[in-house]
Amino acid sequence: MHHAYIDKFAYQDSAIHRLDGRIKFLVVLVFTAVVISLPRTSPAILACYAVGPFAVLVWAGIPLGFAVKHILVISPFVLVLALSCPLYDKTPVTVLFGPVTWRTSLGWMRCFTILGKFVVTMLALIALVSTTRFNDLLAGLQKLALPRLLVIQLGFLYRYIFLLIDRAHHLLRAKAGRKLRNLGVKTELRLAAAMLGSLLIRSIDSAGRVNIAMQARGFDGNWRTISKLQIRPADLLFAAVAACFLLALHFLIRPVLR
Amino acid sequence: MPKAIELINFSYTYADGTPALSDITLSIEHGQKAALIGPNGAGKSTLLLAMAGFVKGSGKVLVDGLEINRKNLKQVRTMLGACLENPDDQLFMPTLFDDVAFGPLNMGVGAEQVKARVAEALKTVGLADMADKAPHHLSAGQKRAAAIATILSMSPKIITLDEPDGSLDPRNRRNLIKLLSNLPQTLIIATCNMNFAAALADRAVLLDKGRIVADGCAQDILWDSTLMPEHGLEVPAQPKA
Repeated sequence: MHHAYIDKFAYQDSAIHRLDGRIKFLVVLVFTAVVISLPRTSPAILACYAVGPFAVLVWAGIPLGFAVKHILVISPFVLVLALSCPLYDKTPVTVLFGPVTWRTSLGWMRCFTILGKFVVTMLALIALVSTTRFNDLLAGLQKLALPRLLVIQLGFLYRYIFLLIDRAHHLLRAKAGRKLRNLGVKTELRLAAAMLGSLLIRSIDSAGRVNIAMQARGFDGNWRTISKLQIRPADLLFAAVAACFLLALHFLIRPVLR
Repeated sequence: MPKAIELINFSYTYADGTPALSDITLSIEHGQKAALIGPNGAGKSTLLLAMAGFVKGSGKVLVDGLEINRKNLKQVRTMLGACLENPDDQLFMPTLFDDVAFGPLNMGVGAEQVKARVAEALKTVGLADMADKAPHHLSAGQKRAAAIATILSMSPKIITLDEPDGSLDPRNRRNLIKLLSNLPQTLIIATCNMNFAAALADRAVLLDKGRIVADGCAQDILWDSTLMPEHGLEVPAQPKA
């Protein structure tokens, strides 16, 4: 089975793709922190922040439909949180949107702010993972002093998640092939538990064999890799542009649109 | 000159008490291409694991004259490259380059030399332009070749391969036979596929129920129409050379 979900566009070639993973990671980290820490804000300001990741996606040739699809997939979790706001905060407020005046509650304002921030930060995150190969990202994280054990764990997760998904699909297919009638919730739950157990046991077996493969190649507990990362002028220019963008929004745009 | 592999009265029993290998005495010369054949559950994979020091039983296992013990395991694994049955177990790094570089780096080889070894190993298996690929983006045949490259980059004297032809289509199997035939190393190949064994091996060791039941020239053993069916195997489809 062929998988290309997470890193579907990361193997393309563009100026953004060629940037150092560390710089992109740091920019997205700062951008996300800034957006999350914004006080309750108008949609116009959030829309200005969205211009950054939007421009990166367009420049890197990532289809916007791909980004929208992934945002929609994750959105139910945030929607539950956001939609609960209007229920407990009904303080009336008036929102001015150019010539339009809108009377609403503080709860709805919070709801829109949460959703807006979610969409903008997700756009940035998708821009990062769609323009950076996962191994480059891991190498960058290691250079940025993220605990080595965590980087190794992420590497294994990325390597083996596809196999786990494959195995889960095979099990589901095997079940579907023999499930010729409605089995009822209780039996379905029992089957799901059995399949999860099977996946767990296979994963443990697999881990044992991977351990043998590592030891066969001299692994002694120290993780050694060759880093190919290199900061170039283009990386510094990208960081400078991103910093100017955030500073301009903070000092020039936000005071006007407040 | 020491033998490439030597096992003297080696026996191993699983934790549940089932005997896996019984009184195995076997020696393989340098440069030989030996096929370990036998039905499922005969003990072929366990024997390969014993040769790489992953299975500890009674008796002796010597690699290039060096008896395996805890202290010299690293040295043994530098001389003997073990390629596991499932390439997905063998390829555990995010990219092919990292996977092929993993062994040499652990051996203490310098970065520049590692890069050269990786390039050479990938070229040998025909994956020279795939160094940056993630293993899950490779086909079954490419994964098998990549798994072999992870061993070749360590420049071992001896290579063990567990069912290397498993899940390969005929074209990829032919490519693998060509690749393995051209390797100068001592090869020990565990397989249930007699056509594959016949195409590669100059020596055959038949295992059944954890014991060696026949050992000799591949031509004599593989085409023995009495011996092979007795042990759940079949003679190769191609005529005897």
